[in-house]
Amino acid sequence: MEEVTTNMTKRFNGLVAMGAAGLLAVAGAAPATAQDTTSIDMIAAEYADMAPYFDDLAARFMEANPDVEVAVQVVSWNDIYDVINTRVAAGDPPDIMNLNYFANFAADGLLYTAEEIVSAETLEGIIPAFRDNSKYDGVEYAVPDLASDRLFFYNADVLEAAGVEPPATWSEMLTVCEAIQENVPGVFPYGLMFGPEEAQAEFIMWTGGNGGRVFDGENWLINSAENLETLEFLQTLQDNGCTPPSIGTTNRTDGAWPLFAEGVVAMVNGSNFFPGTLESTFESDVNWGVTEVPANDGKESITLGVQDYFYAFKKDGNQEAVQKFLTFLYEPDNYAGFLDAAGGFVPATISAGEAMSSDPVQAPFIAALPSAVFYPSDQAQWPAVQGAMQQNLGTAFSGADKQQVLDEIQAVATGE
Amino acid sequence: MTQSPTAKEPATPRRRRLPNLGPLPWIGPALLLIFGVVLWPTFEMLRTSALDISISGISRGLTGLTNYQNLFGNPDLPGIMIRTLVWVGVVVVLTILISLALAALLNAAFPGRRFVRWALIVPWAASVVMTATIWRWMLDTFYGIINRILYDLGLIPTFVNEWLGVPDVAIIWLMFVAIFVSLPFTTYVILAGMQSIPQDIYEAAKVDGATGWNRYRSITLPLLRPALLVASIINMINVYNSFPVIWAMTEGGPGSQTDTTTTFMYKLAFRFQDIGQAAAMSVVNFTVILLFVLLYLRVVDWRRA
Repeated sequence: MEEVTTNMTKRFNGLVAMGAAGLLAVAGAAPATAQDTTSIDMIAAEYADMAPYFDDLAARFMEANPDVEVAVQVVSWNDIYDVINTRVAAGDPPDIMNLNYFANFAADGLLYTAEEIVSAETLEGIIPAFRDNSKYDGVEYAVPDLASDRLFFYNADVLEAAGVEPPATWSEMLTVCEAIQENVPGVFPYGLMFGPEEAQAEFIMWTGGNGGRVFDGENWLINSAENLETLEFLQTLQDNGCTPPSIGTTNRTDGAWPLFAEGVVAMVNGSNFFPGTLESTFESDVNWGVTEVPANDGKESITLGVQDYFYAFKKDGNQEAVQKFLTFLYEPDNYAGFLDAAGGFVPATISAGEAMSSDPVQAPFIAALPSAVFYPSDQAQWPAVQGAMQQNLGTAFSGADKQQVLDEIQAVATGE
Repeated sequence: MTQSPTAKEPATPRRRRLPNLGPLPWIGPALLLIFGVVLWPTFEMLRTSALDISISGISRGLTGLTNYQNLFGNPDLPGIMIRTLVWVGVVVVLTILISLALAALLNAAFPGRRFVRWALIVPWAASVVMTATIWRWMLDTFYGIINRILYDLGLIPTFVNEWLGVPDVAIIWLMFVAIFVSLPFTTYVILAGMQSIPQDIYEAAKVDGATGWNRYRSITLPLLRPALLVASIINMINVYNSFPVIWAMTEGGPGSQTDTTTTFMYKLAFRFQDIGQAAAMSVVNFTVILLFVLLYLRVVDWRRA
């Protein structure tokens, strides 16, 4: 609430100042003053309660740079897509954006290149693999802020009571499920989530272990035979009663995760920050372990890599201020504070990455990164494809024809 | 010579125009309002529906009817259209029937009537989003109180039971909540209609020996016709446009299996990132609402006559 008030006050002061400036200009009383300060605004993603961090960062930055005024607005993941869509469509984008896609804006020529928004030194300090994922049409338009990948979480006590090891393959998945049903009744073996929050992630992980991909670097492959086979396998899980009933509407934060935290669900997919969420948000005492996502027999398991970005919209006279602020954010101490505030992500800078690989909770996630399949967020069509996957994949479990569901999403991707 | 009369002529209208401008300061604000919040947005909506808009929301110029072709080629649309029709039909008809009964009850004199009347206003006074959100959690698969009650009564075998994730079941619950929030307004419109029926007609009928049911059928219902028509049409418009009930409870999901054209319009813009197609959908919605409004105006006219 306090945050809102300060922002409102700032905006109000801004309006008053503008009005006053207008009056002065009309009266011609004041000499035309050169604009001393540049104001920039940033929309930051709410990984956790980020506002205190950004308040402090902006305050320290403005003290060191009196000629720049920075306002950071932290927006929740539920609303951030609506906010950015509305602002860009209205022709009033923020100066700096923090989101998990950028390519559509780059395709419309709205963005500065990465070189233009941080210092060369900062850019060189970013992990090269992440920089490769920040290009559109061969040009780097975004700077990675952090990344995450996913592993398969299990409730060690439930598996022990059922007398089984965590599953590594699809057939083991079915056996483990049966064992849990027999020995630990009342517990759902797996929290499959195909609700609109995370359907795309759940799907890419499972189908990745079947050799299925959404995009191969050149073509969209959403309606492939492998992907169909994956949906059919997951349907088998549902039919066997291995999952809670409402797959198509089960989300992550208000669905499968709290169920896992309460011990109602024995296995679930989770990301780097899930251990932190289990501890602080859910105050769960579940004895959990992590392993790779089960793959189809004879196939390789993958992890889903998700990389988020900072990028900046071209506006008259904002480039210098943007570059100053982002470069300031990437200074090792400030960036460490950012990671700390976000809680449990893979860092995007080389130095912070080295520091984190000794963290026992994060180590398995960092070890899994080489097998990561990333979202094709360098494709301009991706936001629409992601939206279609989030909305429609779930219907495959409430009666819709699976091939048709995949065909429709493929049509969104190829624009046919 | 012949010119002089013609040259004089404009002078008269000019003089006449001045007094015509007289009311302008009074109706000016209203005109501005109509232009600003009705005409201009309508024009923008029509224009947007003919634009090619990128995923970022940037216009790439006119595209003719492409957005409409995409919309009518959308495989989800036929199901959504049919659902919208059923949705409006069922919710309005049931709302009217239940309201008739409630109004009859509230029209009768009984101790505590004032409190019942107050209680009926509550669903109206409460925010629809709030009501819908409460129902969404009452119907939750795992934590819902409804499951708990049914389980404790021994009606369902386990307390984990899905309501809103099954499209056919979810739509019934959506209708239930939509009826629940429509009842107060409708009941009060009908109640007002009932109280405007002169008592002496009933007394005359009583003297002639008409039974209670006969009096209701031959006097109350026919004289309620205007109130019923107005209530029906206003409800049709409200229910057709109803966004919060569906959005707060299912977001139209799974997929678009509980969407109506109104929620689908929003979803096209903000989930499928297709603003052009969403604008085309809103033009279609606008046309339907316009038809309802014309119908309403005719009914009001008919009442006056």
